Amino acid sequence: MSLRRLLPLVPAVLVVGVLFGGAVVGALRTSLQPAAAGLLGDVSLDAWRAVLTDRAFRDALLFTSAVTVAATAVSAALAVALAGALLRSGTAARALAGLPVLVPHLVVAVVAVLWLGPGGLADRLLGTLPFEIVRDPWGLGIVAVYVYKETPFLLLLVLTAWDADVVDRQEAAAVHGADRWARLRHVVWPAIRVPLTVGSLIAAAFTFGSFEVPLVIGPTYPPTLAVLALQETQRSLLGGQARAAAILLVAAGVSLLLALLAGREVRRATR
Amino acid sequence: MRPDEARRWPALVAATLLVAPLAVLPVRALADVWRAPAVLPQEWGTRAVAYVASGNAGTLRALGLSVVVGVLTTVLALVLGWPVARGAARRGARGYAVVATFVALPLLVPEFATGTGLAAWFLRLGLADTVVGLVLAHLVYVFPYVVLILAPGFRAELTDLEEAAAALGAGPWQRLWHVSIPTLRSYVATATLLGFIVSLSQYGTSLAVGGGRPTLPLLLVPFVQTDPQIAAALGVVFLVPAIVALALAARAGRQPV
Repeated sequence: MSLRRLLPLVPAVLVVGVLFGGAVVGALRTSLQPAAAGLLGDVSLDAWRAVLTDRAFRDALLFTSAVTVAATAVSAALAVALAGALLRSGTAARALAGLPVLVPHLVVAVVAVLWLGPGGLADRLLGTLPFEIVRDPWGLGIVAVYVYKETPFLLLLVLTAWDADVVDRQEAAAVHGADRWARLRHVVWPAIRVPLTVGSLIAAAFTFGSFEVPLVIGPTYPPTLAVLALQETQRSLLGGQARAAAILLVAAGVSLLLALLAGREVRRATR
Repeated sequence: MRPDEARRWPALVAATLLVAPLAVLPVRALADVWRAPAVLPQEWGTRAVAYVASGNAGTLRALGLSVVVGVLTTVLALVLGWPVARGAARRGARGYAVVATFVALPLLVPEFATGTGLAAWFLRLGLADTVVGLVLAHLVYVFPYVVLILAPGFRAELTDLEEAAAALGAGPWQRLWHVSIPTLRSYVATATLLGFIVSLSQYGTSLAVGGGRPTLPLLLVPFVQTDPQIAAALGVVFLVPAIVALALAARAGRQPV
């Protein structure tokens, strides 16, 4: 490939290769040097060993995974249901439905606390809520925030795939006597499966790294992996940074694995 | 009611259910007294607004820092992202997919992980707790959005227009300023707003590389527990760029492009 064609891509290499790649190397280096001495200190696996045998790490990994699976599954189901309702709507309704994509997670978490927290608006409107959502041990508050954030993202993906063509085929299937479920399963699902799966995997990768949301609305224990990493840095100056880096690298690894799966889905679909 | 209108109702109800909860932010921000179980505040007032505007607890400094870092990061991302988006879009479907995947890679890694990795270097380079350090860290997350939003704008029609301008004697900068940017203005506007929002909402990166110089999100978190009214007032600040983006999107949707 000619240099002329590659030249425009140099900034991408600078940002992703140097800055992001440097960050990954920096985290790896920190995790391997618990003593943090000099530029070329001794390499040690102490931090990794400490993290991988730590009960708190195991709890955090399980908790983060459970929250991620729950939030993603609910968001995907809601997105399909909402897409069905918004199918024939104009741009105004679609733009409104897209608004949560633009609102930062942190702000959504604040809104959730104001609505769902003890003495919040939901309590006042309905009497007492039957269960705790804010700072609850199951992480329901975190799930609620991510469902609110990820549903519109998945909704926009599903709406793009659920186009006029698909609607025509749905109508044709109806004429031939297919009921609602048969149409959804055999006409709509094949059209939206790939974008929904890929979008869900990406949403899951996002959710897996959740940090400020659990800080605001999550339980004290178990923490998510990112929050556990923060707690490690606060617990001890020496070694805490190394353990935090190791924990964050695990979280990053899982997120990238989910992204890899998404990429494989896309390749399989376009082949 | 015409059948057309009947079909619109579920859509509006669904959209309202998504948007209405956000209204609690301005209400809470202006509620000086709001004791349970009252559904509406007992006393409206500007205690939180006055507190934020007074600059106590570094609110104004954090707001200023967030805006400065957001603007600088977005401008840098637009300048760096423009050639990448253009190059990627003219590479065919396969080439585009490769570039887009490479550029989007950082988005999938937790912000606190990237920030912690960068902090390891920034401490040595003297960039920790500086505006430059924050801009570089935010750039990792703003750049991908800017590239992915701009790229679809570089279509064959734009190439034709640019070639026509070149044939008429326009230099590269003239073509950029008078042809490319005006043609892509809605893409540039969306990329600018979203880039700014992404920078404004950065928490993990900011905490890791600039914890000593808190940006707005870092300042907001403790208030959720200690003083929800101030947390709500600070939260409203985040809604402003989102609403502007929404208005622009709605306008672009109505205009035939």
